[in-house]
Amino acid sequence: MNELKTLYRYRQLIATLTARDLKARYRGSILGYFWSLANPLLLLTVYTIVFTVFFPANAIQPYPLFLFAGILPWTFFAAATLESTAAISANAGLIKKVMFPAEALPLVVVLSHLVHFALAVPVLVVATIGFAWHGDVVMRPTMLLVIPLMVVQTLFVAGIAMTVSSAAVLFRDLRDIITNLLTLGFFLTPILYTIENIHISRWLRALLRLNPMTPFVLSYQDVLFFGRLPGLADTVLMLLYALASVALGMMVFGRLRDTLAEAI
Amino acid sequence: MDFAIALTNVSKSYRLWGRGSQFATLKSALLKRDVKLAPEASVEAVKNVSFAVDRGEAFGIIGRNGSGKSTLLKIITGILKPTGGTVAVNGRIAALIELGAGFHPEITGRENIVINGIMLGLTRREIDQRFDSIVEFSGIRDFIDQPVKTYSSGMYVRLGFAVAVHVDPDVLLIDEVLSVGDEEFSSKCVAKIQELKYRGVTLVFVTHQLEQVRTLCDRALWLDHGQVEAIGDPVRVVDHYLQEVSGTQVGTPASPPAGPAPSPAPDAAEEERFGSGEVVLSRVAITDDKGRELVALGPGTPVTIEMDVAVRVPQDDFVFGVGIYHADGTCVYGTNTDLEGLTPQRLESNGRVRFVMPSLDLVAGTYRIDAAVHTRNGRAFDYRRGVIRFIVGARVHDIGVYRPKHQWKVEGGITFKQIDLTERNVPNEIAEAMRAAEPKKKVKSKE
Repeated sequence: MNELKTLYRYRQLIATLTARDLKARYRGSILGYFWSLANPLLLLTVYTIVFTVFFPANAIQPYPLFLFAGILPWTFFAAATLESTAAISANAGLIKKVMFPAEALPLVVVLSHLVHFALAVPVLVVATIGFAWHGDVVMRPTMLLVIPLMVVQTLFVAGIAMTVSSAAVLFRDLRDIITNLLTLGFFLTPILYTIENIHISRWLRALLRLNPMTPFVLSYQDVLFFGRLPGLADTVLMLLYALASVALGMMVFGRLRDTLAEAI
Repeated sequence: MDFAIALTNVSKSYRLWGRGSQFATLKSALLKRDVKLAPEASVEAVKNVSFAVDRGEAFGIIGRNGSGKSTLLKIITGILKPTGGTVAVNGRIAALIELGAGFHPEITGRENIVINGIMLGLTRREIDQRFDSIVEFSGIRDFIDQPVKTYSSGMYVRLGFAVAVHVDPDVLLIDEVLSVGDEEFSSKCVAKIQELKYRGVTLVFVTHQLEQVRTLCDRALWLDHGQVEAIGDPVRVVDHYLQEVSGTQVGTPASPPAGPAPSPAPDAAEEERFGSGEVVLSRVAITDDKGRELVALGPGTPVTIEMDVAVRVPQDDFVFGVGIYHADGTCVYGTNTDLEGLTPQRLESNGRVRFVMPSLDLVAGTYRIDAAVHTRNGRAFDYRRGVIRFIVGARVHDIGVYRPKHQWKVEGGITFKQIDLTERNVPNEIAEAMRAAEPKKKVKSKE
């Protein structure tokens, strides 16, 4: 609970640092903030071209929209996790020289990626409207559920980021391990396919189910693409994963906090 | 609750991670099935340190590199956790451990002021209120909307200091940052610090600029190998420290210890002596006007340098010389018989030479004396460098080496509370006097 109080006290700091992050990232680029929109837009264009021109046959249609619904939350998770490995060591100056709440750093990483995610969602919505206009898909109000989904996923990602960021100070090879785990995870998450449409062993299917990102991606696809409510099991799992992740993050970070300034 | 900072038996050991490799890797931890991260050895950077700093006090911490000063400061700020003991701090604390530590190079000075201020504990509104004052102090108004990466290191530091002193802490910790910037800015910083002190902010300095400790601090602590070597009056602590440091630097030899601290040990510390030995200065001493040997003296006392001369080979060409040096190496005064027009006639047998000063007007500090006898073209018979050390003690923490006889006079609507300025202490009043003392003056004494 103390951690939460500290975080609340430093909310202004976290918000300012997140804004700084975003500002600094696009400072000096021509498009500036527009890159946050342009990136997903270009990605969507590429997918549309690839999967309508090069690999047109697919059970799920329109496939680019389906892909997009899964890939956005995955990118949020993967990018924030990977970047949080460097969150603390990249700010060694702050940790060693300023009285600074270290837990703010992974959260800043998570929040700035959340902003990118949030800016990409409208692109998806507009694309869906486009496809709906064309008659390929039907717009449903379930789309609004993307907001609570993002809240729960942010909690999940924040817990992971806290764990990873503090552990990465002690274990420098964590970044390499995570890079590879994320590549594996991408294929172990039903982003490119649906679980029903693939023919794999029970074992592999169980493994897929155990992947904590699976219920999240499935739910995003439900509300954004299929226009239906997320499954009850997935909802429960998401909440459990989010809670467990936050608890783990606080525990690991709490244990390592005092050693960060020395070990960095 | 009158203390601002209290440390009780504080210790800090740094762990040395195993096998000479700085970082453990997850792989090795897993392979060894030992994720416990047991350190294989540790270094004690701070050992059992206890002291308290009163509210509104200026406290200096000095010591060699690696003596644990910065570690101690980081423990007080809470950046590092002590491995033993307790730290208590009353009030809002701000630390200048590195100026501009949180600046981001890609964004403008304006934005960095805001972020830095928030990191130092200000709210957005407080920053807005102080913004102009910060920019004013930094003196880089023209560049405030440029990215910080385009700043010179001087500008960077100016901005960092400007933000930090506007945080309005109750306790301000400063680690060796006053030496940065050009002359003008440094003096601005010192003035600002004096102002903070005047306003009752508790200050803790870590510095190698001993002059600042002498002038700004009410008390000083000398940390050696992580332990408190001395604590108390800054002039004494600094002098004690200087002796020790110069002692170890020169190496083996000897000199009379000066100072209040250890009891005068026989000559040994760090005298440098050279010469042919045809004539030797068998004894050099300083005495008062009644012929008593001195080790420590007050400012403005009569002092005589006595040299006992032993002649092994009689000479026709000889010069006696003396020099007085501050412990930091500054030459206070030097002369010899030749320079002053005394033509040598005959040095036949043993005798005594006296250099008599009716009043030696020095500022508090440690000094050494060189005494020599040599030929007029400089060939040394006996040159004893640093043969004597002595301490000048004073209640007034004025600065420099030479203290002219003087008094303060004020007239008009300017008054001071205390009549006898010699009996009070420390810079609080000096700062006060400096503020009050504009052109006109009325009588008040000092010496």
